[in-house]
Amino acid sequence: MQLASKIHEAKDFNAVQELYHSHGWTDGLPIVPPTAEAVEACLEWAMMPPDQLIGIEPVRERPITVEKLAINAVMAGCLPMHFPVVIAATTAMLQPEFLLHGATASTGGCAVLLVLNGPIRQELSTNPTFNVLGASDRATMVIGRALRLILINVLDIRPGGIDRSTIGHPGKISYCLAEDEDDSAWLSLAEQSGIPKEASAVTVMAAGAPRQIMNEWTTEPKEILETFAAEIRANMRHYSIWPGNYAIIVPKQLREHLQTAGWSKADISEFIFERARIHRREWADVGKASVVRDRGDTVYPAMDSPDQLLVIAAGGPAGGFGAVIPPWLGHKSHAVTMAIGVCMDCEPPKI
Amino acid sequence: MTLRVLDPSSEMATALGRPAPRMASLQGKTVGFISNGKEGTAAYFAHLDKMLRAEFGVADVIMRVKSNYSAPADPAILEEIPQWDAVISGIGD
Repeated sequence: MQLASKIHEAKDFNAVQELYHSHGWTDGLPIVPPTAEAVEACLEWAMMPPDQLIGIEPVRERPITVEKLAINAVMAGCLPMHFPVVIAATTAMLQPEFLLHGATASTGGCAVLLVLNGPIRQELSTNPTFNVLGASDRATMVIGRALRLILINVLDIRPGGIDRSTIGHPGKISYCLAEDEDDSAWLSLAEQSGIPKEASAVTVMAAGAPRQIMNEWTTEPKEILETFAAEIRANMRHYSIWPGNYAIIVPKQLREHLQTAGWSKADISEFIFERARIHRREWADVGKASVVRDRGDTVYPAMDSPDQLLVIAAGGPAGGFGAVIPPWLGHKSHAVTMAIGVCMDCEPPKI
Repeated sequence: MTLRVLDPSSEMATALGRPAPRMASLQGKTVGFISNGKEGTAAYFAHLDKMLRAEFGVADVIMRVKSNYSAPADPAILEEIPQWDAVISGIGD
């Protein structure tokens, strides 16, 4: 296999670390040395030649080859079996509706949230239960980190450079989870996007930091969801009023109440769509009176339509907690779901 | 043991645009503004408009606002640029 990347020499493991840190090629954590052998193993697993073009970053017209993705995936700690997810997630980020440049350069400081669906969750031994948003397992941790290193190294999206985030959040280290499909009666996020249950998929969303909620004092679906809706309304007042993709994480304890009462994801989305909306005048309550102007009575919904809410079954088995993950900035960026390792639109081979 | 490791950067320098030749004077010229449309741009560009006309003798100022402040300028705006002598693309945040 002929790799095109420049080769650097270092006298030992520690020298590799210093070499990569000194070039600004890391996120500050140690990296796995990307040797040709390790990179080739990823490419072979994905059955792709190193010069395969994954896409072109549209603003700076920068081509992205699979070889560069593999190098960064190895650095992040990925095994070859993790690599197809990294390819699919990068492809998803390059779709025009994701608005990659805006989402990664904005002062708003969002991260790229990844949600895994389908059989690959089990093949990679993901853990969609305990501590699901905080380094719950090896696969989601390294896949999320690979995406960040790709942004840093392949697209030069570094803090203070193209990344102009004022605050940012810890999800910019790694922000990846698997959905708990095995313990849920709901359609998975990927199935909601029309991807068959037998296929694996990854969803990318330009996402703010998670906002945790708690309500373990009711079994009533509407009361449970009122807490989620209230957290969304708080985000609309305190951060951004504009509608877009919100995600909610619903762990088992709350999920069981909803499922026992027969609530589907679509039912949840409809309810929250109706309840998560504020008047512009509410800005005056949180110190933003100067921008209310004469539009105080205008009502703003959190989503343009119910299907903009991503309902994700995940989290530990006990505790009436949940999380709201807000969009970077309204509907400027749309979540994208991409099948992994398959081509959904390919023509059948000609015989 | 020497480790041979691969370069993770793109190694593909983006062809950067070159600035147009500098003008000796703005007197009688047409200057285009491409605004990102954020809250802070209105007063900023309004002041710049006055300053360019009063202090530099600019003949005309064309104001254009991007439809999405996080995305590149709309094609219709880019098509107009050749009609201007200079462009100020500003971020108001």
